Amino acid sequence: MSKKKRIVSIIIFFVLIVAIVTGIILLGAPRPHAETLPEVMRDAVLHETMKVNFFGLQVNPGLISAYTVTAILAVFAIIVRIFVIPKFKKIPGKFQLVLETLVGMFRGLAKGNSPEKNEVLSAYIFAAGIYIFVGTMFELVGVQIVTTNGASVSLPAPLSDINGAIAMGCGSYLFILLGGIFNNGFHGLFGTVKEFSLPLSMSFRLFGALLSGALVTELVYYPMFLSFGLPVIVGVLFTLLHALIQAYVLTLLVSIFYGEVSEKKLEKGKKKKKKNKET
Amino acid sequence: MNVPLNIDWQQILLHLLNFVILFGILYFFLYKPVKDFMEKREAEYRQQHEDAKNALEEADRIKTEYEGKIAGAEEEISAMKSEAGAKNAEERTRMLEQAKADAAGIVEAAKKRGEMEHDKIIAEAQKEIADIVTTATEKIVLSADVSKSYDEFLKSAEGNMKNE
Repeated sequence: MSKKKRIVSIIIFFVLIVAIVTGIILLGAPRPHAETLPEVMRDAVLHETMKVNFFGLQVNPGLISAYTVTAILAVFAIIVRIFVIPKFKKIPGKFQLVLETLVGMFRGLAKGNSPEKNEVLSAYIFAAGIYIFVGTMFELVGVQIVTTNGASVSLPAPLSDINGAIAMGCGSYLFILLGGIFNNGFHGLFGTVKEFSLPLSMSFRLFGALLSGALVTELVYYPMFLSFGLPVIVGVLFTLLHALIQAYVLTLLVSIFYGEVSEKKLEKGKKKKKKNKET
Repeated sequence: MNVPLNIDWQQILLHLLNFVILFGILYFFLYKPVKDFMEKREAEYRQQHEDAKNALEEADRIKTEYEGKIAGAEEEISAMKSEAGAKNAEERTRMLEQAKADAAGIVEAAKKRGEMEHDKIIAEAQKEIADIVTTATEKIVLSADVSKSYDEFLKSAEGNMKNE
């Protein structure tokens, strides 16, 4: 990466963060308190009663999960960067092999679905895949947090919160849109807008899949006699499967659509020439 | 801002902010260094492969060159062999001719010597005959007995012949 490109990407990165922070502040109007509902299931879906204080804001526990996951991953990444990566060998050890396989897998997925432009895409699906997987597995840890009404709640998967799922789905759509515009101009824009149902489908697929996992686990836990032993298998298996499947599905979808909208269209003249050659 | 399903735009943006931060951290601390390392190693191995390929091509070229040289040398050797053979044959012929000439010379010389010997013997014989004849004549003349002298002459001649 040249110096100029690096500076541009850093500027874009910080502008993006500033824009989002501004949005958060502007949209942070006080909301009326949600009404209390007794059902556990309803609350698991809507998070109306269980709110957590986040720097003065009343937020769903899913958001705390999201930031916790980010903090864990950040610490992990920094430790790996400082202590492991400088010691990388040409013939990889076990941990190096895991990291290289992860990076190689997402790069392969990006290259396979978007052969022309895939540098940013592979970085994006790498981050998204890891976030979805680790975020979903995070609910197994069961970190307890105190809500604003004094109750204790176990931190759920960030994407089982509808806001997290929408952010992920719409963020991915936005990423595809930007990729299309940068790589393919008007064609890219048109190609992405044509798939207007994509953000909705991606958001609700994530939300539905992760929430259904949580609900099924809740149902299994509900009767007393089923809450011994069984959750160890059911909970872990469901969560692991969701984590893997959802990470794979979202990264695959993003790759496919990104590849489609960033693909260069052949000009009409070239097409005609090709046809002439064939005949 | 009341939206169905408890959707909260502020929290969506907070989630988005979280993901953008995570993306940045993962990209700069994990993805990029690992990717760079892998690319560097790949480039290194590709370079090694390229070098090996070039070395192999060079070796092949040298091999072909040497094979050509060996073939040339073999041709040269066979040419030299045939040349040497021709020279040998010529030398042999020359030596044969020489030997023949020498032999002819020897034979000629022997013949000459033989003839000379022969002439000498003849001359000596003639001289002896003359001597015998002279002696006999003298004896005959002196003895006047012709038939006896004749017999003596014959005996003397016979004895000389036998001595020879």
